[in-house]
Amino acid sequence: MSRDELNASEREELAALDRILAREPVGEQHLELAALVDSVRAGAPRMDPAFAERLDAQTAGRGARRGRRRGGARFVDRLNVRRLALASGGLVAAAVAFTIVISSGVFAGKTVQNGVALGGHPRSGVATLLPAAGPRATSTTQAPVGTTSGPTAATGQAALGGANFSATLAPNARLVHRDSTLTLASAPAAMQGVANQIVLATERQGGVVETSNVAVQGSNSRASFRLQVPSGRLSRLIAAVSSLASVRALNQNTNDITDGYNQEQARLADNVALRAALLTQLAAAPTLTAQAAIQKQLNRVEARITAEHGEIDSLLTQGREATLQVTVLPGAAVKHAAVAAGPFTTAFNRALHALEAILAIALVAFAIVLPFALTALALWWGATSVRQRARERAMRTA
Amino acid sequence: MTVMAVVPTSGADAGEQFEQLYRSSAADVYAYVASLLRDRAAAEDVTALAFERAFRRRALFDVHRGSARAWLFAIARNAALDELRRRRRTGALLHEVADASSELDEDLDSDLAERRLVVREGLAALEARDREVILLKFVGRLSNAELARVLHCSESNAGTRLHRAIERLREACGVTR
Repeated sequence: MSRDELNASEREELAALDRILAREPVGEQHLELAALVDSVRAGAPRMDPAFAERLDAQTAGRGARRGRRRGGARFVDRLNVRRLALASGGLVAAAVAFTIVISSGVFAGKTVQNGVALGGHPRSGVATLLPAAGPRATSTTQAPVGTTSGPTAATGQAALGGANFSATLAPNARLVHRDSTLTLASAPAAMQGVANQIVLATERQGGVVETSNVAVQGSNSRASFRLQVPSGRLSRLIAAVSSLASVRALNQNTNDITDGYNQEQARLADNVALRAALLTQLAAAPTLTAQAAIQKQLNRVEARITAEHGEIDSLLTQGREATLQVTVLPGAAVKHAAVAAGPFTTAFNRALHALEAILAIALVAFAIVLPFALTALALWWGATSVRQRARERAMRTA
Repeated sequence: MTVMAVVPTSGADAGEQFEQLYRSSAADVYAYVASLLRDRAAAEDVTALAFERAFRRRALFDVHRGSARAWLFAIARNAALDELRRRRRTGALLHEVADASSELDEDLDSDLAERRLVVREGLAALEARDREVILLKFVGRLSNAELARVLHCSESNAGTRLHRAIERLREACGVTR
């Protein structure tokens, strides 16, 4: 039996106590308890009339002050704190869920358009490649790989460096260089937007813009790009770029450079062997004249070895990276989901983009605030527990 | 058992509802606090403070967690215990509650007056914890569930504490059943 459990007669007595306090009749056996209740209540301290008056005035004053409160304050009063907390939690959860959906790419097709719909430069780093162009402006910018400043080149190089290729060719493997050209047609007004999207698509595939040339000049508008991407992602880049405008022509070349690579490797091996032989001869040369002649030969072999190393590296790079030459020509405006969206779609895209940005900011803010809020909550809970214990201790020792 | 179901938080007449709660509970809250503190001046301060706090925090009141009366007694209890702690720290002197009810006893028959006096002395002789349970139940008229919420214990534990406190009060008063 638990310490807290009461027997039947004790429970009955407590039930009788409730009836006594509710001024309901009880049996004779509980009249003593009723008398006890009456005595306790009658003997309880009573308020001093002067204090009662002061307290009345204080309460009445509080009520009057409340009557003068503004509508907004009354509205806040009506809000149930718990409901408010639940609603806030629900909103935050919905925002997080929506942000996850957005960032997971469900609306990727829509959000890709945002750069075009909003105009300007949708991502940092693009500015170095594509200067802003007005209706009559002409701009030409070339950005060779490795010299382009800004995140475009940086991210591209990092992605290329991370590609899954080894420095040397595996036995029986083929080394293939892929080179494609793509010609697109776009309305002159959409030329700048298409150009921006080409850069973004290249970045997304981990590539770099080797050179770019965008000229916005009415019907003479034209853009050309030389893009470099990891070989395995060329198809995806072509698909992404092709979706931006009407495709006029697509030319894909595949060049097997394994033979050239093998020949270079063989030449390198020969020259390395020759260098070893020359070094042996040099060590055994009887005269200074003979030594000088051998040294001269050795220098030539060294130079060839260096050149062959460079050639082999170049071939490996060609196999690792594919190039895509894109040319955008002015053409009839074609209804296209990405760049020729209608006003409603454009507005929707803008709204979606704005919402995405707001949610991203909210999510970041939430992530920053959450640890502080949890810490504050824990501190508050701890302080409350400590205070309550101290109160109970005060009661025990009273 | 009559329990106030006043909700002093919402609606245009929240002020009136709070006042209704005040009218029905002020004397009982004072009686409870004064019995706990045994100091008239401190009891007055704590009672005023309890109503002030209740008014300020009325938005936090949740009708699903008990009656407004129980909520008010919980606030008063915390305020009284804070006062006890403060007094222990500062070593403040007691201003014993004057025996206000004894003046009325002269009009009662002698048996009843004597019985009340015995009960009052018995109650004063109890430990503060027992006295508190008795007062919350007899004066505050809280249900056992509300008692448990105010005392931060389970309902069955509150019932047990109440029953034992009644037994001790009987012993202190020399009552035999």
